[in-house]
Amino acid sequence: MPDETFIMGLFKDEGKAAKVILELAAAGFSFRRAHSPIPSHRILEALKLKKGRVGWFTLAGGIFGFFTGFALAIFTAVQWNMIVSGKPIVSLIPFFIVGFEFTILFSVFGNVIGLLVCSRLPDYRGLETYDPRCSGEHFGVLAACETGRAGELMDFFQKKGGEVKVFA
Amino acid sequence: MTDLTYAQIDQTILNTLERPRPRYWFFVVLVLCGVLLGAGAWTYQIFVGIGVGGQNIPVAWGTYLINFVFWVGIAHSGTLISAILHLFRAGWRNPIARAAETMTVFAVCCAGLFPFIHLGRVWQVYFMLPLPNQRFLWPNFLSPLMFDVVAISTYLTVSSLFWYTGLVPDLAVVRDRSTGLRYKVFRILSLGWSGAHRQWLNYSRGYLFFAALAPPLVISVHSVVSWDFALGVVPGWHTTIFAPYFVAGAIHSGLAMVLTLMIPLRRIFRYEAIITVNVLENVAKTMILTGLIVGLAYGTEYFIAWYSHNAVEWESFRWRAIGEYAYGLYFMIICNVLLPSLFLFKAVRRSIPWLFALSLVVNFGMWWERFVIIVGGVAHDFAPHAWGLYAPRLVEYCVMVGSFSLFFFLFLLFCKHLPSVSMTEMKETAHHAG
Repeated sequence: MPDETFIMGLFKDEGKAAKVILELAAAGFSFRRAHSPIPSHRILEALKLKKGRVGWFTLAGGIFGFFTGFALAIFTAVQWNMIVSGKPIVSLIPFFIVGFEFTILFSVFGNVIGLLVCSRLPDYRGLETYDPRCSGEHFGVLAACETGRAGELMDFFQKKGGEVKVFA
Repeated sequence: MTDLTYAQIDQTILNTLERPRPRYWFFVVLVLCGVLLGAGAWTYQIFVGIGVGGQNIPVAWGTYLINFVFWVGIAHSGTLISAILHLFRAGWRNPIARAAETMTVFAVCCAGLFPFIHLGRVWQVYFMLPLPNQRFLWPNFLSPLMFDVVAISTYLTVSSLFWYTGLVPDLAVVRDRSTGLRYKVFRILSLGWSGAHRQWLNYSRGYLFFAALAPPLVISVHSVVSWDFALGVVPGWHTTIFAPYFVAGAIHSGLAMVLTLMIPLRRIFRYEAIITVNVLENVAKTMILTGLIVGLAYGTEYFIAWYSHNAVEWESFRWRAIGEYAYGLYFMIICNVLLPSLFLFKAVRRSIPWLFALSLVVNFGMWWERFVIIVGGVAHDFAPHAWGLYAPRLVEYCVMVGSFSLFFFLFLLFCKHLPSVSMTEMKETAHHAG
């Protein structure tokens, strides 16, 4: 929205950042994002987020890989339908190795795709409202307010002990 | 654990990415010469034929396969240290995990070259791909060599993705402290990572799944490599102990290589406050365990040969102890089992010179273990009239120098251009400590 201003409060203390997130809504401001240099359990608890859904992608990849590996081994075996040393053409035990490796491979592919999709990466536009100090030692809380209330939001962050950065 | 602040961690690690001194470029050029030597030898072999090497009947697998198994072994500990210790929440992994993962990726690259080199007619490599070749033949997935193709390529892919995923938050740190072209490059590489809560939420889950998937893969890959031998009906090879024996050996050699790389890195980059003596001591403690497992495997091999009453098997092992390559057996026992036992003494495992020296000794011993297994098995198998010996030739030595040079060349480039210690994980360590 054109009359909206994004302001980030930067805190050196993880606890203060988590507390600010809890109090933002009560103060009438809209929380947008929290940035941290490490995965912060206190911030995630404050946001009351459910577990990520990456695991479903991983599981789907694994199931797909397991059947793909077996199918590939079986398909190639039946293309050259010659019994060697009395062994069956479709030998499930050795083919299990191919199935296993494909399970891991496609689980990892699923995992990476899940990670990218759920985290919405690559996200170069997100850097427009980001402060580089958040990858160092600061915890950033990005909030939005009507342009007329920008001063109030800045005061709010400063009273909570944070530094302020305003995004045009 | 570390007493450093977040800023000190960033500064210590980012200092390593400053413009290198001429001495660095001297070493880069030196190992590049080694790479070119190896590449030249391989090119020569391609034009003249595989016969320029020393492999022949009965020893068709020489140093190319020895180096292949050696590098796959080295590749093991990186992912294992990173993944298993991540699952166990062992904080001492954090300072060394990045370099160990990098070691894995580069070691698999080196290992992956050897099947190509050993192939002779390298342009026929597509026969190993699941495609019908010119005679409409498909690869035979009953063969352990095809298991190997699948396992190694999976391992390379998974290790590379695991390594890159771990790097992303650190690439963002470098981006945020860069300008100009470097900023543009790291902006793309970091995928726009901003440490937003949604990113961390999914990243933590994704990384956990990576860590859970990697250990079974690690174990399967070296088991598969061992089956290249164990599924062959050759005395000294055809044994069920090979999979755990190879896995333990691989971890042993990988841990040794971690020490070989981390100790100079620690000194050159002044990482003493990050890679503490306690961290190195924990690696040494783990090597006591892996050394004992390897020793048990050596003993069990001999026990099986004696207890089985199989004359061919027993002759193979008798010859291994007193035959032409007996020195290899004693190298491997002394270097892999006896000398690492010195780590039982606290003074030894906390002494940097001892740690470094013993890591080199284990690397040497593990190379000889592969020589004893690979060459020893076929050199002295069933029929006495078919026994024979093997000695590497100049081309093989050059290729070997090339592979070691390639590994160190890639590692040198890595440690000056990317963060060689994970800043994010070190900050987590500091966070939990504080």
